[in-house]
Amino acid sequence: MEDKKPSIVVKNISKKFSIGFKRNDSFLAKILCFSFGDEIKKELWALKNVSFDVNAGENLGIIGRNGSGKSTLLRVIAGVFPANEGEVETNGKLIYLTGFGQGLKPKLTMRENIYLIGSIMGLSQKDIKKRFNEIIEFSGLKNFLDVKVYKFSSGMIARLNFSIGIHCLKHSNPDILLFDEVFHSGGDIYFKKKIIEKMEEFLKGGTTVILVSHDLETIKKYCDKVLWLERGEVIKYGEPNEIVEAYEISV
Amino acid sequence: MRFVDYYHRLKSVLGLSFSLAKANFKLRNEGSYLGVLWYLLEPLLMFLIIILVRANITTESIENYPIYLLTGLIMFNFFRGATVLSASIMRNNSEFVKSMNIPKESLVVSNVLQSIFSHIFEIMVLFIFLVFFGNSIKGLFLYPIIFVFFVFFVLGISFILSIIGVYINDISNVWNIITRLLWFATPIFYVLTTKTKIFFINLFNPMFYFITGARDFIISASFPENFVIFGILGFSFFSFVLGFLIFEKYKNKIAEEL
Repeated sequence: MEDKKPSIVVKNISKKFSIGFKRNDSFLAKILCFSFGDEIKKELWALKNVSFDVNAGENLGIIGRNGSGKSTLLRVIAGVFPANEGEVETNGKLIYLTGFGQGLKPKLTMRENIYLIGSIMGLSQKDIKKRFNEIIEFSGLKNFLDVKVYKFSSGMIARLNFSIGIHCLKHSNPDILLFDEVFHSGGDIYFKKKIIEKMEEFLKGGTTVILVSHDLETIKKYCDKVLWLERGEVIKYGEPNEIVEAYEISV
Repeated sequence: MRFVDYYHRLKSVLGLSFSLAKANFKLRNEGSYLGVLWYLLEPLLMFLIIILVRANITTESIENYPIYLLTGLIMFNFFRGATVLSASIMRNNSEFVKSMNIPKESLVVSNVLQSIFSHIFEIMVLFIFLVFFGNSIKGLFLYPIIFVFFVFFVLGISFILSIIGVYINDISNVWNIITRLLWFATPIFYVLTTKTKIFFINLFNPMFYFITGARDFIISASFPENFVIFGILGFSFFSFVLGFLIFEKYKNKIAEEL
């Protein structure tokens, strides 16, 4: 690759969550807490001193157990969460996509949801109109266009969610992509195949991708580097085959 | 080129706010424009009740009372509608806030926009009433001047409430009670005579200034008194600036608190 300017630099990131044992969020409870001292809070470091950088066009895979801080790390990079310590530097347009549904409104029809999510992802109405047919085609839900989404099965919701996400992505042509478990969104194997085909455009193209996944085969196949997180700390960082192997042994 | 940056940011916030407001407006009306009747029903019913009750308990007549009453009702309705919704906006949209780095101002702005949409329908009813009672409609064209300041005032309050709503989950209940008290404190269905106790209390009530100003415009097409104008300018500026500063300070913490 000719352009070696790093597109993501993560420097000593630490992220702290304070977790209250009883969540006293009501108005009266707040007033009482105010006069009788605060509730006990526990500090939890979700990320401890994480640093790495990703060059432009490279793909980085992040693996680790549930609760090891993978999603938190992506959210910090995406700017959803501010970091407590350290810095994140990103060069270029960044998009964060998660497989867990990005807020489809169940009471709206599929058509209206496409417009809503599209505009939240930064497309104008005109752009969405242009992409509209592609989205429907890809999701394979043409017959349900004017059905309200709460009547959809979970598989259909997953399909719709991914179709909207990926096509909006394509339109906005990002330099950096953060994928959080997009493969496990609940579609069947046929749709999963379609997802991987679509994702290959990004994974093999010039886009910088960070991929969080439990699908180790996919990680091995597409990633140039792998980061192994455990309880918020980097255990290993380096060549995919080597690290995935070590991870599999530890399990 | 900071100015250009601000311009682009404002443009993207407003663009997103419009699409959100449009989607939510549809959502609230279940896709049919007949749904608009539902939130016209509340102020109209209130209007009817007060007119009937008043006719029975007093013979004292106020000039243009129906218009006087309706103006107060719909303005307060706009204030309450927008702010009550804002108090729970971050919780209701937590999936967006947590999974995307969207400008969070848009959620609040879209909320206020949505209330502006429904306020337009209420204004149409007011227009019909003005024609029906043979008033001049000239004053209604001056109303937007006050309404712009009113929107800034409501925006500021909405920004503050949206942040409080992140930390306190039942703030919308508390706010509901506060607005109900404010409703009775504001001269909506009664007339204030100057130099009474309740008049002095109302000098601290922002709604008093906006509603009085609007009535001066709509009913008599005359400019409000100076202290009313100062109140309108002061409260809208103060509320908007304070709300904006608080929102700026806390907006990065919203995602992790939800």
